[in-house]
Amino acid sequence: MEYERCYIYTPPETDERAPKRRRINKANSQAQLQERIQIYRETWFHQQERIQATLEEADRVTLEKIINFVSASAQTDYAEPVSIPTGLVIAGPSIASHGPFFERLGRKIKDETNSAYFLLNSGDSSNLKTFLKNLIKKAMSRVDADDEDDLGRIGSSSRNGPKLLDFDLGHLQEWHARSRADRIVVAIQDSEAFDANLLVEIIELFYSWLDRLPFVLLFGIATSAESFEDRLTGKAPRYLQGQKFNVTQSDEIIEKLFSATIASTDVSLRIGPNLSRRILERQKDHVQNVQDFSDSLKYAYMSHFYANYPSLFLKQDITFKDLPPDVFEATRNLPSFRRRVEDMLDSGRAQEVRKLLDSDQYLFENIVEHVQSGQEVLSALSTAGMVIVRVRQALQMSAQVPLSSIWIRAASGEMMGSPLLRETMLSIKKAPSDRLAQLLSSLEDLEGIDFPVDLKAYRKDLDELNKDNTTSTPLRSQHDVRNDNLRTTVVAQKVLLSKHKAALSERDKAYSELVGHFHDELDTYFTTAFIDPRALFLSEILMYDLKSPHTEVFQPKPRFAIERALASPHDYLGCDCCGDADGGRDADAALSATQPATAIIYRLYLESGSLINVSDLWSAFNALAGEEEDAESKTMALFQRAIAELKYLGLLKPSKKKIDHAAKVMWKGL
Amino acid sequence: MLPDEILTQLDKQYPCREFQIQQLASLYFSNLPSPPLLIAHGLTATGKTSIIKSLLALSTIPHTIINLQECITGRHLLERTVSSVLDALDEYNDERIDRRPYSRTENLSVLANHLQKILEGHKKFVLVFDGIDKQREAPYTFLPGLARFSELIPALSLILITTLPISLELRKPGTPHLPFPPYSRSSLLTILSQNPPKIFLTQPSEEQYPDYTPDLAAEDDAWLWGRFLGAVYDSLSKHTGRDLVSFRNTSLRLWRDFVAPVVDGTFGTRDFSRLMVNRRHIFQGEEAVLDRIISSQNAENESAQTHSTAIIKKKRDVGMQHDLPYYSKYLLISAYLASYNPSRTDSTYFMKHTDRRKNKRKVNTNAGATKSKHRRIARHLLTPSPFPLDRVLAIFRGLIDGPVPQLADIYTQIATLTSMRLLVRVGGVGGDALEAGARWRVNFGWEWVRGLGRGVGIEVGEYLVGGVDV
Repeated sequence: MEYERCYIYTPPETDERAPKRRRINKANSQAQLQERIQIYRETWFHQQERIQATLEEADRVTLEKIINFVSASAQTDYAEPVSIPTGLVIAGPSIASHGPFFERLGRKIKDETNSAYFLLNSGDSSNLKTFLKNLIKKAMSRVDADDEDDLGRIGSSSRNGPKLLDFDLGHLQEWHARSRADRIVVAIQDSEAFDANLLVEIIELFYSWLDRLPFVLLFGIATSAESFEDRLTGKAPRYLQGQKFNVTQSDEIIEKLFSATIASTDVSLRIGPNLSRRILERQKDHVQNVQDFSDSLKYAYMSHFYANYPSLFLKQDITFKDLPPDVFEATRNLPSFRRRVEDMLDSGRAQEVRKLLDSDQYLFENIVEHVQSGQEVLSALSTAGMVIVRVRQALQMSAQVPLSSIWIRAASGEMMGSPLLRETMLSIKKAPSDRLAQLLSSLEDLEGIDFPVDLKAYRKDLDELNKDNTTSTPLRSQHDVRNDNLRTTVVAQKVLLSKHKAALSERDKAYSELVGHFHDELDTYFTTAFIDPRALFLSEILMYDLKSPHTEVFQPKPRFAIERALASPHDYLGCDCCGDADGGRDADAALSATQPATAIIYRLYLESGSLINVSDLWSAFNALAGEEEDAESKTMALFQRAIAELKYLGLLKPSKKKIDHAAKVMWKGL
Repeated sequence: MLPDEILTQLDKQYPCREFQIQQLASLYFSNLPSPPLLIAHGLTATGKTSIIKSLLALSTIPHTIINLQECITGRHLLERTVSSVLDALDEYNDERIDRRPYSRTENLSVLANHLQKILEGHKKFVLVFDGIDKQREAPYTFLPGLARFSELIPALSLILITTLPISLELRKPGTPHLPFPPYSRSSLLTILSQNPPKIFLTQPSEEQYPDYTPDLAAEDDAWLWGRFLGAVYDSLSKHTGRDLVSFRNTSLRLWRDFVAPVVDGTFGTRDFSRLMVNRRHIFQGEEAVLDRIISSQNAENESAQTHSTAIIKKKRDVGMQHDLPYYSKYLLISAYLASYNPSRTDSTYFMKHTDRRKNKRKVNTNAGATKSKHRRIARHLLTPSPFPLDRVLAIFRGLIDGPVPQLADIYTQIATLTSMRLLVRVGGVGGDALEAGARWRVNFGWEWVRGLGRGVGIEVGEYLVGGVDV
């Protein structure tokens, strides 16, 4: 078959059974996959809607400002142009979210103002000519879509006389005369990536056309408006006149997204604390990117439904008949099921345990009930988290703790007894009446479905107390520091400090009682709400908290993988010959002839400085891997191939600094 | 319109340019043949283009003006010339010339050929090339070729507008030049005082000041504006930008600030000297002479604050800037250090297991202190030197406490910073952006990186070889 370049490999068919086979018939891992995909789609659809709504809400103010600016710019009559109206859109360093933002902006501008919008980025504009070509192409394609007649006219003009070159803005002028847009908005998405000279040329050209074409420029800026202005040279800044628009900071958006998706009260599948923490940390440390956030969320949802058989139970109104018996078997293997069975046995309910293990029907009823109650418990947890945020806001507590961190702590079961909760509760005790009123009203705003504290009663009591309050000072509780005073008494040359409560007025006493009551009730509420959700029965179904697929997909370590493979090939080869003789750990240190040649060379490479003498390297290699005297040519071949492989991997580079030397390019562990 | 009327009208429109207008009129309005080629040259904002444009528009000569800045390539220029000449003749004769023979104009000789054919039988046609020195990718033969057009086409008379005289490039002696010298101080004042801006944006109410009529207000405006212009010219524009446009922009930017005490009633409209003393600070700053995209007036309208709080606001604005991710900041700081520190000092600054840092640094500062023969320039004032990628990563790991996993995210960040032009690849364009052999340079300054470092709790100056004395 050597003469063929490629062929289809057909393995020889044998009737014998293969020596080693996997069981493929019995345990079908793809069972009910279609149903699970369906559930995933429904669940994710809701989440995606939320994400979209949050994003649009976050951008709304900025978008409106830009649109107002654009529509205001048209009212100045452009017969006597002074400068091009310019919007500097500071969109932040998350470059990947610029694209969707400018698309939304374009849609809005086209909908709400009578203008044409062209979005251009650096990729399709390497010089002025291509920039203009692209601009005109975008404009013309729009016309073609509108009416077909224009197409022929432009093409045929070459036979009738001079034809406009395809980068002549005359095309745009023609188009503008027909379309009658009030203004032509040209958005440059990534202004940083443009060459500064090109930007200046574009601006100067647009300025000279401004008496014929009503341009409005929008620049997307990732760094700052000042650095953008500094890049423009010559007269270009004079030709521009405009405003700066700040897009919402991405950490704020992420926070909003988090509360809308993960910490929301009505989601069926929750992302566990470890994974959420990891996602948030990645956002803070590495990338600030809204798309990435929603991608990682989506991936988590997919992993849950695709790989977890019992996730079937998250389906709305599920019936026993729909389910195969396998799924019950899978559920019986869950750790939380085992825990529950053990607990039940401890409390002597062996009969029920027997029933759970034997009857699928009974188990099904149990599961449905517990999924339902587990959902409620989790949403109560989210509500409690929101309550804490509201309380802290209303009491104007100094340390701003975002909902995300509160939720993560609550979901990992660390909230009860944490200093944060204690501090919050203490400051409720100390709150004067005006703060308490604010707190009550802010809690009333909360559409908490399940909030057991009767706010209306407190509100009524507070109003009653306040009614006969003639002074403007608010009522103070007995724990308020302003009611304490310190007394010093000198007894036998010793200073005694003693705290005294100032005498409380009748109304203050009544108020203290009210606050105390409120505090106690809230305290019991938090105690019931903040449980450890991972201890819940069926928490594996309700919560997804595996970090390994997430890190592998979103945070791979390519360089580390190569370095590890080269430095300790045993990890990958798993053969008996290399290393591992003296108990595992030292395999790293041992160099042996049985290792692949590239790995040996790599180890020698690591030991050398930035310039490597190739001849020394060869003698070292020969001493290690060379077998007999006469097999030198074979060893040399191995050596050369290893060197070539290192060079191919970009680790080694020929050097001109010293003869017979090669330069080391990459160090390990960076 | 009679030539004399045109002249008076133009003189009124463009004061202090009587000489040039006269010359142009005598060259192109008379029945005598016009010069085949004229070079009008002068610095920016001296009225070259506007005067020629208005003069030709008022005349009855067929003409067309081509702005070379709008021509992207040489071919574009040629095509454009032919079609605009055709357009101009169509309009002038009110008929349509058959354009089919002129569909392609590949080079200069074809242009000459076309023009010859088009202008056959016409008496005079003026073709103006505006900004001939701004032409992109102009071939060497372009100017000499143009200069000799008139030998082939007798009806054509060319006007080339340029910033500097170009007699040498034309390779043709004896071309008439018409200079447009920069305006002198008195001319600038005359021109700008023609349209004084208003002191009061809204006329003071009639009930309160019944005798302050609009006429009186206009008189005050003109008086104060004239004085003010003189002051602006002597204090700022004389040294920064003497041309008409810069001067006008500067004056307009300062005007509202200048008359603010008049508007709020502190001073009368004619208290010029007291106003000067009171508002002297606006003549001291550089804000007014810089061209900014976001005008300071806009910003002030938004905030409506006094001078001192405006500075605070500015500071807050800087803080409002979008925050980079945590590790990106460290990467930028490491890149800055890699650019400005010589690589041999790295081991003394960033090795974790030796503590020779202090001693070594002392040596360095001593070397700077001993006054050597030539003064050393502080490192951070020099251009950054390129560095390989691994050095940044090594410094990055040296700066950060605790281990950082070797994630792909680090590379993503480097790529992002590159597309934001904060890091720039030097040489070796093309290929993989993260190739190990590539060399990099930072594209930001000391001030910025210092702020960045303070944001994450690193005093960058401590790690910079030679130290920084700011």
